[in-house]
Amino acid sequence: MHLDWSTLALQTINVLVLVWLLRRFLFRPIVDIVAARRAAVEKTLADAAAAMAGLDARAADLAGREQAAQADATRIRAAAHEAAKADRDTLLQQAATDAAQARAEAEAATARARIAMQRDLERQAGELAVAVAMRLLQRIPAEAATGAFVAALEDMLTGLPDEQRAGLAEPGAELEVASAAALTPQARAHIAGRLQAVFGYAPALRFTVDPALIAGIELRGPHCTVRNTWRADLDRIAADLHLDSTHVEPALA
Amino acid sequence: MTGSPLSLAVAFQAGPIAVTEPVLVTWGIMLLLAGGSWLLTRRLTLHPSRAQSVLELVVQAIEAQIADVMRAEPASYLPLIGTLFLFILTANWSSLIPGIEPPTAHLETDAALALIVFVAVFWFGIGSRGLRGYLATFAEPSFLMIPLNVVETITRTFSLVVRLFGNVMSGVFVVGIVLSLVGLLVPVPLMALDLLTGAVQAYIFSVLAMVFIGGAVAPKEPNA
Repeated sequence: MHLDWSTLALQTINVLVLVWLLRRFLFRPIVDIVAARRAAVEKTLADAAAAMAGLDARAADLAGREQAAQADATRIRAAAHEAAKADRDTLLQQAATDAAQARAEAEAATARARIAMQRDLERQAGELAVAVAMRLLQRIPAEAATGAFVAALEDMLTGLPDEQRAGLAEPGAELEVASAAALTPQARAHIAGRLQAVFGYAPALRFTVDPALIAGIELRGPHCTVRNTWRADLDRIAADLHLDSTHVEPALA
Repeated sequence: MTGSPLSLAVAFQAGPIAVTEPVLVTWGIMLLLAGGSWLLTRRLTLHPSRAQSVLELVVQAIEAQIADVMRAEPASYLPLIGTLFLFILTANWSSLIPGIEPPTAHLETDAALALIVFVAVFWFGIGSRGLRGYLATFAEPSFLMIPLNVVETITRTFSLVVRLFGNVMSGVFVVGIVLSLVGLLVPVPLMALDLLTGAVQAYIFSVLAMVFIGGAVAPKEPNA
């Protein structure tokens, strides 16, 4: 068997060089890139795990915030409910107070209106009564009615206090005798006689006619007047009616 | 191959050294493997292309084979074992190119490969166990085994040479003889069988190298 030693040596060197070349250009780059990819994958997995852990923590944080928000919402809702209830009670109480006050004011206004109306009605009724009485009395002849008043006039003068009776007529002063209709001479003489009997002297008389008196006689002295006429009676009745309604008003107000 | 398988054709003379055809073909294979590797690994990315994926598949398959056979971390042995496998495979399959004889069909190339494995066994054994520790492995299981272990170390290297040389050379011879006797297409099945034989022989040579080196180094579980 022949062996070419130079070829053996060259082939040995060639294979060793090829080992170096492939180590340099094939195996090391491939091993490095595989290791790099493995490291990248591990880093990606680690990052993913870290991101997952971060997401879990974030989710837990959000869940906690949601619970806190729900608790706040419940508390705020309860507070708002309580405040609304308090406001409602206050408004209802205020409304009840206002309604009571308005009702009282309305009732007072109604009472005042009723009183005013009643007073007006009474006044109108009085005026109507006086008018009715005047029309009725005007149907009676004044001369016929005056006779009765002359007798009553004597009684009135007699019943007056002395001071007033003395102030009615003075000696030398003129006393006006007003009547609704002109007096007959007999009636004038009768009246003069009666006045002389009352005063103790004969006063100076001046007879006048005043149809507004309706019926009766009115003595008009310098200091006072004695009214004995239907007009005076009707005025007094009307005044009494007005006084009665005036007395009722405060009790109703 | 028409001449003796033991004869070498000189391609050219470089001074005192005669450059034979197997050396010339080996240079071509070296250029192909190294140049192809340089071209394919220039732009490696984390998102591999199809070619990069194939390269990674081949390298990782070799790494896995080393880890399985040697029970050791494959990084230190990958360049040697991987180069042996790729070179023998490429050399065996170079017979498909008309006019090219595989370098492994000549005894010098196989002897060079076996010599490298023989030295690598010592290199990795001493690197792993130390000189004393490695020499102590020859006395296992007893001192009586020292002569046998020494003889075994030498003879198994020769077995590597003879196995690879015999299989490849015989395949080339058979194809050459059949091609000289019958038509053009008749040797095709034999050439296909020769491809299978070449791949199997590359695998066997690499596995045996791993076994020899793995037997010399201290046992250690691989990390991967």
